[in-house]
Amino acid sequence: MLNDHFSGLALPKGLVQATGWVHPTGTRHLSTVPSDPDTHEDFHPSNKTENSNASLKDIVEQDVRDNPVMVYMKGVPDYPQCGFSALAIRVLRLYEVPLSARNIIENPELKDAVKSFSNWPTFPQVFVKGEFIGGSDIVLNLHQNGELKEMLKDIAASKKAD
Amino acid sequence: MGSRAATAIMSRAQRIQTKLQSALQTTVLEIEDVSHQHAGHAAMRGNTAGETHFNLKIVSPKFDGLSLVNRHRLVYDALAEELQSGLHALSIMAAKTPVELSATKK
Repeated sequence: MLNDHFSGLALPKGLVQATGWVHPTGTRHLSTVPSDPDTHEDFHPSNKTENSNASLKDIVEQDVRDNPVMVYMKGVPDYPQCGFSALAIRVLRLYEVPLSARNIIENPELKDAVKSFSNWPTFPQVFVKGEFIGGSDIVLNLHQNGELKEMLKDIAASKKAD
Repeated sequence: MGSRAATAIMSRAQRIQTKLQSALQTTVLEIEDVSHQHAGHAAMRGNTAGETHFNLKIVSPKFDGLSLVNRHRLVYDALAEELQSGLHALSIMAAKTPVELSATKK
């Protein structure tokens, strides 16, 4: 059986809520700060936002470095919220490799961070061994022409050895 | 400005066609509007752009020597304005060079 691995994605402390963390049960985490009209602008978390953008980039870098197959998608692997994300997951699952995923619907800031990291406008976005592979159409293509099997074979082999 | 006004009244499908033909000098270009298949999915709530999803098949000499991901980057670059104005997703079903196309036909 294929197990999706979520546990390896340790986050810098304090950022868990701000990242739209994909949880196996589909638990949603708040990703926005409630706007309070009574709050003076001095108390708006502007610096925090800038910091978290920088940190989000770090998180993306860490995600793709630490997870052999990393998917930024709409929804979660067991409940994709877009046909393209569903297609990418369906294809990747054929190879029985550990999949790590984050739900970008829950976090627009993470979504923007991923887009600027890969310089790619749409989702899902699939990274294999740190390299940006593309979206669902490319994943399907690489599956059909056999290249995906080559890319994933050592990941699948190391999983069997575990 | 005149050309911008002209493109504004074209449908998005027509603009995609014009932009890909000029940027990629396509020899084959198939554009299929599949927006209806995605109407109502989570990310589309509130999107009133109408033409949001397209399937594309593209044959272009500009793809020569490029990996698939870089071929798709050329397409996205050519359609950057559309992606910023409501085009939600492209499914690029084929991105080949004329040489590759003739090889598959044999």
